Amino acid sequence: MKRLLLLFMITGFAQVSFAQQTQKILEKTNVNHFYTCSLDQLLDTVSMTYHLNIVFERDSVSKFDIAEHFFNETLKFVLNKVCADNKLHYWVESDGTIYILQNTDDLGRLKTLNQLKHTSLGQVKPMVEEPRAPPMNFKFSITGKVVDQNSGEPLPSATVKIRGSNLSTTSGTDGNFILFDIPADTCVVQVFYSGYQPDYVRLDASKIKKPVVLEMFKALNTLNEVTITGKKSGVMNTDTKKVGVLELNPTSLDKLPNVGEKDILRAFQLMPGVSATNESSSGAYVRGGTPDQNLVVFDGFTVYQVDHLYGFFSAFNSNAVKDVQMYKGGFSALYGGRLSSVTEINGRDGNKNEANYGVDLSLLSLNAFAEFPVNDKSNLVLAIRRSYQGPFYDKIFNQFNTSTVRSGGGPGGPGGPGGPEQTTPASHFYDADVRYSYHLDKNDLVTWSLYNGEDKTDNSRALQIPSFLSSSVGNINITDYTKYGNLGSSVKWFRKWDKNIYSNTYLTYSSYFNDRNRSTSGTADDSNGDPQSFENGTVENNNLHDVGIKSEWNWVFSNRLKLLFGGFATRQNTSYQYIQNDTSKLIDQHNTAFSGGGYAELEIDPDSKLHLQPGLRTTWYGPTGKPYAEPRFSASYVLDDHFTFKAATGQFYQFINQVTREDILNGNRNFWVLSNNSSIPVGKATHFMGGVSYENDQFLIDVEGYYKILSGLTQYTISQAGFAPGNTATSITQDFYNGSGRAEGIEVLLQKKLGNYTGWISYTLGNAQNKFAVYGNSYYPADQDIRHEFKSINMYHYDRWNFSAVWIFSTGHPYTAPLSTYTINTPDGNVASAFTGSGKNAERLPDYHRLDLSATYDLIKINGNKTGSIGLSLFNVYNHTNTWYKEYQLQGYQAITTDVSYLGFTPNITISLRWK
Amino acid sequence: MEIKTFTIKCLAPLLVSAMLISACKKDTASNVVNLPVVEAYLMAGKQLQVKLYGQKALTDTAKYGSPLKGLQLSVSDGSKTVQLTESPAGTYIYTDTTFLTAGKTYILQFNYLNTAVSATTVMPGKPINFATQHSGITIPTSTTNSTIDTLDVLSWQNPDSLNHVLVFNNLDGTSFGINGFGFNRSASFELNTNRASKYFVTRQPFSYYGHYQVVLLRVNQEYINLLTSNSSNSTSQTLKSQPTNVTNGLGIFTAMQADTVNLLVQ
Repeated sequence: MKRLLLLFMITGFAQVSFAQQTQKILEKTNVNHFYTCSLDQLLDTVSMTYHLNIVFERDSVSKFDIAEHFFNETLKFVLNKVCADNKLHYWVESDGTIYILQNTDDLGRLKTLNQLKHTSLGQVKPMVEEPRAPPMNFKFSITGKVVDQNSGEPLPSATVKIRGSNLSTTSGTDGNFILFDIPADTCVVQVFYSGYQPDYVRLDASKIKKPVVLEMFKALNTLNEVTITGKKSGVMNTDTKKVGVLELNPTSLDKLPNVGEKDILRAFQLMPGVSATNESSSGAYVRGGTPDQNLVVFDGFTVYQVDHLYGFFSAFNSNAVKDVQMYKGGFSALYGGRLSSVTEINGRDGNKNEANYGVDLSLLSLNAFAEFPVNDKSNLVLAIRRSYQGPFYDKIFNQFNTSTVRSGGGPGGPGGPGGPEQTTPASHFYDADVRYSYHLDKNDLVTWSLYNGEDKTDNSRALQIPSFLSSSVGNINITDYTKYGNLGSSVKWFRKWDKNIYSNTYLTYSSYFNDRNRSTSGTADDSNGDPQSFENGTVENNNLHDVGIKSEWNWVFSNRLKLLFGGFATRQNTSYQYIQNDTSKLIDQHNTAFSGGGYAELEIDPDSKLHLQPGLRTTWYGPTGKPYAEPRFSASYVLDDHFTFKAATGQFYQFINQVTREDILNGNRNFWVLSNNSSIPVGKATHFMGGVSYENDQFLIDVEGYYKILSGLTQYTISQAGFAPGNTATSITQDFYNGSGRAEGIEVLLQKKLGNYTGWISYTLGNAQNKFAVYGNSYYPADQDIRHEFKSINMYHYDRWNFSAVWIFSTGHPYTAPLSTYTINTPDGNVASAFTGSGKNAERLPDYHRLDLSATYDLIKINGNKTGSIGLSLFNVYNHTNTWYKEYQLQGYQAITTDVSYLGFTPNITISLRWK
Repeated sequence: MEIKTFTIKCLAPLLVSAMLISACKKDTASNVVNLPVVEAYLMAGKQLQVKLYGQKALTDTAKYGSPLKGLQLSVSDGSKTVQLTESPAGTYIYTDTTFLTAGKTYILQFNYLNTAVSATTVMPGKPINFATQHSGITIPTSTTNSTIDTLDVLSWQNPDSLNHVLVFNNLDGTSFGINGFGFNRSASFELNTNRASKYFVTRQPFSYYGHYQVVLLRVNQEYINLLTSNSSNSTSQTLKSQPTNVTNGLGIFTAMQADTVNLLVQ
């Protein structure tokens, strides 16, 4: 009963600050005091003097006596010291309240009671310094930088505003911003950034003379963050001012259910317009487009292989990523070379102030990172991830790669005496990121970024020699491996030429390879009894090298006018070889393309409501010897505090395509081919997009529509000649089919931004059609076409627990069904059997739906910093069988149809730890 | 305003196309299933034979579809039109061996389920100077290195780069397997020569020892299309119809001429 009599103390000043102000006070206030009193009295004094809200249980705390002299120590040190001495802990909550705890479980109780007290005290307000002097300067401009207070990392895309005015801007990729025409030097600068607490800085006559550094504090719990209308918070955000822009900050990714890994590209798939039902590809199917029509740029270089493990996981390690933007269409002239969309990923700059280490362990992989300052001018980030072949990995591997396990033997196929043994292939993936930043001086920053990732499946083994052959045959080794991956690197030179001009210049390299080797080698005795070696099999190699230079300039003339311009040049080289039995190169292609060009774009804000962005990009493409001009335009109009209208249009060209070589028995192979003047045309798309968004304190509603016209699309097929089963004397015919397409759709997003319960509902009505002459003269549903897609993302935060539930429903993908079969004799005495198919993609697979759940428990250091989490996630909870595709085989003249499904119920556990 | 009209514009084609897709589906499906399957390889100097089959249900385990009986087939060579007689059921023949000659265009016509079915082909010339370098080859028990030796050269004249295929017909059947790989393979096989005038014979294509009849066929493109479209294994993502040169039908109606050499493989 005594517990009910606990006394609660809330210090006097009702103006409780946000957490970063509390943190600031703790870190920046120096204490020079000799305390000889009980601890509760000390806390009372501190809270009175420094305007802090400290919550504690008076009867337990009053038992501790303090006799301590602090000589110019920070308040933080004082709190640490008195708590540590008495085996207590303190925790700074996101609202800035400091809780004094005996053990961490006390928190919930203290919070509830604090809240009860609090509601009677009214709305909390942020604390801003009063102006120190009357205004001295008028109509001036300021420059500055938005950075993370803890690590010193610049924060891009943060919103910087002058309070009480319409002046507002967004920080650039290096955190820099500039604001013109500031009314007076007593104004308050506000800054907002996803995952961080808002900051307020009062200007004064001295501050405006040098760049203003806005240091932001991480939100202690993003989901409970106080949100202000129009500002970004939460896991995923839409830019309401622009059409088709999504932003992601990976720090909150562990709040969403994941299978094995926090996954950047998978998170985007939860938003409208990005299809979520392709478990076999992490690539983005954006607004009826295909993944190869989505440009993925990592620190300036193009990434050609975006996923691991048959597409189930994206290739980007979230520990190495600072932020990601996805442009779903109608994108800026800054980007080009793709028909559909752009995903721009910026690597982390790393901690400039102190070293930090972390490790994530899941049933899939081990993921470790380190970041540390090398010296006062440079710092380094390292992140490495490697999968291990546990049951979880094997489950996914087998789901997407049934064939490799099945194909035990030689070319005789399953069932033949060539393949009696069943083996489990060794398989893994890894990726590594390195990023080194060096500040040459105040205005120059050089960053080197490296990414390397690879998937490897190795089923190589020694063949068991039957005893009756062992006298004449030595050893036979079967080589059977598949590996694919990426190596990409860039050197970026950021230079601030003047306070309103800066440039980013990149040297980039990116390569992609996709190799398969299935061959048999060994020794056997020849007719003289001498051992002889032999080798035969199939080897397939695809390589791509992309070397480029580009320079991107940003020139701000005024708050109303900004010019972006730049130039680029690249040399791309692709090769594809299909070699059989080492001698006959069935396909041997080598292509090189040089391309170069430039772009210019204006950002015009005639008034605070209207934003216009006209641009032009031109690319000269070597193999066709022609220039390709791409006009772009986007605009937005802010009607009032709630409504924004937006629209975009533009023309887009694509000079490189990823094509798929179908291989039913051994898995499809993807490779990249360059456009040429004949079989592979340059792809072209025209986008029309428009939308309206409504936003208030609690909700965001965003509706967008799109219409796209595409031409110069390419599909690829290789077919093997011959009627005889198991014919080894294969010749191969490759065909490139060309066609056109169109896509249209409407997307609706309803997002709840605030409170313990957050989340969104997303609905997409879409239609994507292709027309390829090989399938007839009319449009048919494209392979990626989905009519309805509904996604419900629900997150609930309770204390240190985060729960989430994601439900996805989508119309099935279209497919071609066989209707009947027929057989004719061939002149060589064999027979040719064939299917008669329904119209191309005339049928639909069953609807796709699944529920994912997760629970995450945050491990929190007692000063309130998060040091890690433990998460349990359940994928496809009700184990719904989602069909991937159907396989048709003729066995004994009967057609056998097999459904190949996606992943069923799969649980996973993730442990994530941070040193700091 | 602009955006509102856009939305409506966007919706309309969506709905219309959705309706169109659902509307035409059934139509094409029933048509395709009822198409007759034609099998005819016209050889100069041989009797003309056309086989007609129905299609099979997917679960049907029979090798061929049921023969289509009682139809009136005619073949024209441009100047003369002949009626084919049915013997046995589903097989239609014209016995005059002089009817099929090089250079003529043959048009097959008949009605099936009230639909006119037709197909056209041109009889190519006979292969010229088909020869083998050796009358027999010996398959090495093991190869000595990774390059595969040429054991024989088959050659013919082909100045115009016409389509030829080689059929290796093993008269001894599957009696003498070369190695363990042979079990699933048929004794005879066929190769596309890709419009070349030579073929280098290696040990590679042979699964069985024996007496081979090597037939060089000069063929038309419609035959090459059929040969290079093996679709007995497929998926819902890749399924394509087999190419055909029959209008309102399936299968093939093509002409070819042959020359033969013998090759002993031991």
